[in-house]
This record gives sequence, structure tokens and C-alpha cells, in this order.
Amino acid sequence: MFGSPLGGNVARTTSHKVVIPFYAYGAVAFLVAAVLLLISNGAFTGHWFQPHLLAITHLMALGWATMIILGASHQLVPVLIENDLYSNKLAYTSFALAAAGIPLLVYGFFVFNLGWPAQLGGSLVVCAVLAFVANIAISISKSKRENVHAVFVFTATVWLLLTVLFGLALLFNFTTSVFTRNSVYYLTLHAHLGVVGWFLLLVLGVGSRLIPMFLISKYKNPPLLWSIFILVNTALILFGIFFLYHFATGLNYLPAALVFVALLLFAHYCRMAYVERIRKKVDDQMKVSLLAVALLLLPVLVLLALIAVLLVSAGQATNVVLLYGFTIFFGWLTAIILGMTFKTLPFIVWNKVYRHRAALGKMPSPKDLFSHPVYKAMGVAYLLGFVLFGAGILLAAPLLLKTGATVLLAAAVLYNWNVLKLLTHKPFRK
Amino acid sequence: MNHSDESKALLDAAYEALKFVDDPEVGLNVVDLGLIYELDLHEEEKKISCLMTFTTEFCPMGESIQANVTEALKMTVPGYVPEVTVTFDPPWKQDMISEAGRAFLGGY
Repeated sequence: MFGSPLGGNVARTTSHKVVIPFYAYGAVAFLVAAVLLLISNGAFTGHWFQPHLLAITHLMALGWATMIILGASHQLVPVLIENDLYSNKLAYTSFALAAAGIPLLVYGFFVFNLGWPAQLGGSLVVCAVLAFVANIAISISKSKRENVHAVFVFTATVWLLLTVLFGLALLFNFTTSVFTRNSVYYLTLHAHLGVVGWFLLLVLGVGSRLIPMFLISKYKNPPLLWSIFILVNTALILFGIFFLYHFATGLNYLPAALVFVALLLFAHYCRMAYVERIRKKVDDQMKVSLLAVALLLLPVLVLLALIAVLLVSAGQATNVVLLYGFTIFFGWLTAIILGMTFKTLPFIVWNKVYRHRAALGKMPSPKDLFSHPVYKAMGVAYLLGFVLFGAGILLAAPLLLKTGATVLLAAAVLYNWNVLKLLTHKPFRK
Repeated sequence: MNHSDESKALLDAAYEALKFVDDPEVGLNVVDLGLIYELDLHEEEKKISCLMTFTTEFCPMGESIQANVTEALKMTVPGYVPEVTVTFDPPWKQDMISEAGRAFLGGY
């Protein structure tokens, strides 16, 4: 009846030593970004191209979101592609280069010195991404099975590489003539390559595997996922063509609409996974992650409004541009990380502490390794801070911005508190 | 395989012991989760064999779960060497969860 026993040949889990530094770095970056948000909240009533906003955006995009995603990817990619991670050394290299490069880049933006600190930082980030892409590409090439999730992940890493290479070229373009136009002109393209190509594709690819897995759902629909994949990539390529060949602004409705349809299909996919789940009791971390799926639609709605405003006013729509960026980095990206951190990190720590302590009797479960009241307080603070700050941007209201930033900082402190509690966990005595 | 009464009792005890080994993510024990495909006692070889699976082939908790199963068998059936084999043929499916397991997870 049963064939092909593997004996002791159980798949190797990526070492916690590889993964944990990314999580720790990401947590600190989130805290620093929240502090910068508080001391720079006045910048959110002015133009979007400002040193402090550039610094906060890159700290959120690279230090927070990308570092956490890189860490989680090293752990989860083997699950997605059903093969071991190719190299732990490449993973360490990726971490070391990014960890050194990001502060230099962010410092350069913050003080608006786009000379050597920022250029060196940006170059280190590109090298970090090259190491990551090589690791993922070799891991996938050695995998015996092809699946849609792996294609999402690999395509996302390619878009990430293009994003950071383009970003580095833009950085050098500030001091040396690399492009025919100034760097500010190209920022829209750089931002969307990263947000849609890297973050969105990766979140969709990983989420479409993990959400049914965590819900213990029977629902599978690869054709739907392929449709989503094609819609998102077509949108990105069309946007690039429209941008580079100076097509009319109104045409941008087409790629935005394609992404919107893709997100509606993904929301449908998640809903079906939820409906067909066996695990009826959904924990708080999954609830926050599912909230993040809903929050995915918010930036696209803001984008559609932004295009409309740009068409009508034929000029600047500064507060809507800022709200658009805010809903991406402090909205769905942060929400999904707040949820997924406490869905993945407790298992990594549990494996580290308890894997060799197998014995009869009850051990703490991974969810016992962090404080749930603190997690709930973090969730409430995050949602409140997000709404207040978002409203502050839209209404250009300093009091709302300051209050929102303070509450978001509280959420970042609570997040760090729980991450620290996890990372310093010692085995329970029997 | 025919077993003596003593062996049957040992096997029953082993099954019960495995109900204390949880999949840490799900919080449900490996028996009710349907991860245990076969459990057998080989009296002459003094060996207890277990054929099991994981919910996904590259389960990050796989090593821990397998170690826990081995330890549980070692402690429950002293004098017998546990031999835990992992297979993905057939792969685990949600249908393999027992009625008790479904009730634990919230039922349909």
C-alpha cells in the first residue's frame, strides 16, 4: 500500500542561524522607521520628494519589509519548491551585505548626501540581492517539481534585482549623468517595479501557499493563480512601456485595473481557502494576515483616485501620492509582516530550543512563546495609528500626523518587545 | 501480523503515547492528524516500526515531529528499538484527519 519510504532522509530545515538575524534586523528597522516618522511627520504635509521621506521609505522597503521577507524566504522557499535551500553561506552573505548597506543608504537620503555613503550603501544592497537571487535560482533549478508558487517567487526575485539595479543607477544619476532626465522623473517606475514586481508578486506567491496550509484547507486552484501571475506581470510590463514611451496618463488606468482584477481574484482565492478550511478556529496572526489581504486593495483604490486627480488637476496631487505610498509601506506590507512574523518566527525559535528535547509530556507550543495580550495591543495600536496618520496625510493635519505617528511608534515598540521575548526564549523546566 | 497479547498491549500503549506527540503548528496529535500510516511490533528483532508522513514534504517542523515520535516509542516500549520511517507516498490529505481531530479543529 505504501511505497518509497524515505527512511531517515527527512528534508533539512534551513538553520535558525540563517533566518533569525533577518527578523531581528527587520524589527529594529521598523522601530527606527517609526521614530523617524514621529520626528519627520511635518514632511508629510509638503512635497513627496523630500530627504526624510526618501529615508523612511527606503528604511521601510529595505530594512523592514525586504529584510523580514528575505529571512522568511530562506525558511519558506524550501517548503514552496520542495527542495533544500542551496547555500546557507550565500544567505549569510546576503544578510551581511544588506545589513551594512541599508544604514548607509538611509543615512545618505536622510541628510541628502547622495555621494559615497549612499552610493556605497546602494552598491552593497545590490550585492546582497545578487547573493539572494543566486541562492533562490540555484535552489529552484535543483528542485524536481515545478509549481506556480515557485514561479511567483523566482519572478519576484528577478523584479527585485531589476529594482535595486535601477535604484542604484538613479542614485549615481544624481551626481553623474547616467540617464537623459533627472532621477526624480524615474522614481515612479523604480517604486512600482519594487512594490508590484517584488513585494506584491512575492506576497501573492507565498500567501497562496501558506494561507491554505495554515487554515488546513482543501482548496487548490493553480489555473486561478496562473491568471493572477499573468495579470500582475502584464500590468507591470505595460506600465513600464507607457512610462518610458510617454503615453498619456489616462492609459495608466489599464495596468492599475489589471492589478486590481488580480487582487480581486486573489481575495476570492483566500475566501475560498477560508470557506473550505478544516481548522475553524483561526488565530490572531492569521486574522491579521487576512486583514492584510483586504488592505492590498486599499493602495490600488488610492492609485485609481490618484490617476483621476492627476487627470483633472493636470498637476500635483501631493497628499494623494503620499497616502498611496503610506498605504503600501505602513499599510498592507506592515500588516502582513505583523501577522506573519508571529506565524513563522515562533516555529523557528521552537525548532531551535525544543527540537532536541523530544520526550513524552506536554511541551509549550510555538504560540506560547510570545505574549498574546501584547500582540493584541500591538494590533490595535497599529490599526489606530495607521488610520490616524493616513487621515492626517489626506487632511494635512499636523495633530493627526503627530498622534498617528506616536501610536504607530507604540505598535513598533510592542512588536519589538514580543520579538525580543521570542528571540531570548529559554526552555521551560519540566 | 499475529501478535501475542503482550505485544498487542504494547502496540496499544504506543498508539496512546503517540497521541501525546503534537504537530506544533496545528496543535493536534500526530495520530488524529493522520500522520501515522503504520505501527508494528517485531518481537524477534525487538523492533517497533512506524511509517509516518508530514502534512507537507518540506515541513519545517518535520525533524522535530519525527524526533518526538521516536522518543515517545522509545519511552513507551522499552527494550524495543524504534524505527521511524517517513514517506510521502501517498501524500497526506485533509481526509486523513480523524473524527476526533476534526472535532478538535472545530469540525465541519
